[in-house]
Amino acid sequence: MLSALGNPRQAAAQLMNFGLILSTAFMMWKGLSVISDSPSPIVVVLSGSMEPAFQRGDLLLLWNRNLFTETSVGEVVVYNVRDKDIPIVHRVISKFGTGPTAKLLTKGDNNDSDDTKLYAPGQNYLVREDIIGRSVVGYMPFIGYVTIMLSEHPWMKTVMLGIMGLVVVLQRE
Amino acid sequence: MYSSLVRLQNTFGFFTTVAFVVALLISASDFLSPRTPTVNVLKTTQLQTVKGRADYYSSKKEEYAIIKFTLDADLSSLFTWNTKQVFAYVTAEWPSAQNNNATNQAVIWDTIITAPSSDHLGNFSPSKLKRLRKSANGKGIDPSRGKLQLKNQRLKYPLTHPTGRLANTEDVQLKLHYNVQPWVGFLSWNQVQDWGKWKALKNGLSKKFTLPAIKVKEQAKKKTTRA
Repeated sequence: MLSALGNPRQAAAQLMNFGLILSTAFMMWKGLSVISDSPSPIVVVLSGSMEPAFQRGDLLLLWNRNLFTETSVGEVVVYNVRDKDIPIVHRVISKFGTGPTAKLLTKGDNNDSDDTKLYAPGQNYLVREDIIGRSVVGYMPFIGYVTIMLSEHPWMKTVMLGIMGLVVVLQRE
Repeated sequence: MYSSLVRLQNTFGFFTTVAFVVALLISASDFLSPRTPTVNVLKTTQLQTVKGRADYYSSKKEEYAIIKFTLDADLSSLFTWNTKQVFAYVTAEWPSAQNNNATNQAVIWDTIITAPSSDHLGNFSPSKLKRLRKSANGKGIDPSRGKLQLKNQRLKYPLTHPTGRLANTEDVQLKLHYNVQPWVGFLSWNQVQDWGKWKALKNGLSKKFTLPAIKVKEQAKKKTTRA
């Protein structure tokens, strides 16, 4: 790195490389988003309300297209409460009507009552467009715990950035 | 080129590949074990429609159905080494009055059946956990938990409709569903058709019934209070 300062060509190459890594990650995320038709195709479970099916920290892969069937009762969906940006993973327990205006009610398997209290004031049911992932198609345990740790203990972010910076500085190639 | 960082990266890369392949093989093994869920009995034993409020603070009176049902089903074939839990639920389903295509579906009862290997993850009381552990008797898979036997089971969730009207609803049917959650892989639900070794859930529907009118006695009482 220090030697690279004296060699602008190498510094530029390194910068390009870094940009390439960033844009590849971004493209993969957006590509997955397009394929699954979900603004956030991968989510981390934040609460224990779906235990024992999903633990805190599990990584869920979402699918949000109505190809052959539409969202129905018993599916595990991820939704955002109106005007809030916190994804909630719960199960649909009732559905009244069909199509995009069908009224859906959700509940966490591990909760005693349904989600009416979680919804925005005046919102008694969800509709299709509140749902950002109509069905959880698969999941990987624990991997998402990293993000929970990082958001709950901000000092870890500093430590991680420090380690990464150190690696970049110490790397010879 | 061969710095320790590159070696570490390669090792980690290989580890993730192996883990992914093993996970894929495990989830594929699900298709090799046959699933033959059966329902022997699913019928209603009591029907009633009453008026009530959603909670103490709501002023709107809605009609609620009170249903008791009997269920005898065998889901034991759903338990394999990759089963984390089976979520079994009974819904009440009826067509909409205005539009025949629109349907209404509501879960009236559900249960989480954990595999012995995931008992510790459930939110059970210590006594229930102890009982579950004892019943499993050290086994990792316990198919006998898949036997559901309910007699005159009450509703777990209040059954109502957004319009608040439910009395005299026709063609209501109870239906048993299940959702298998694996340790690794994809979630699966009860099927309408056979897929290879996975057989469809037959007999999972009750006879069609009509919800009764609100009891006359209650209506009469109302008239007197209004007068």
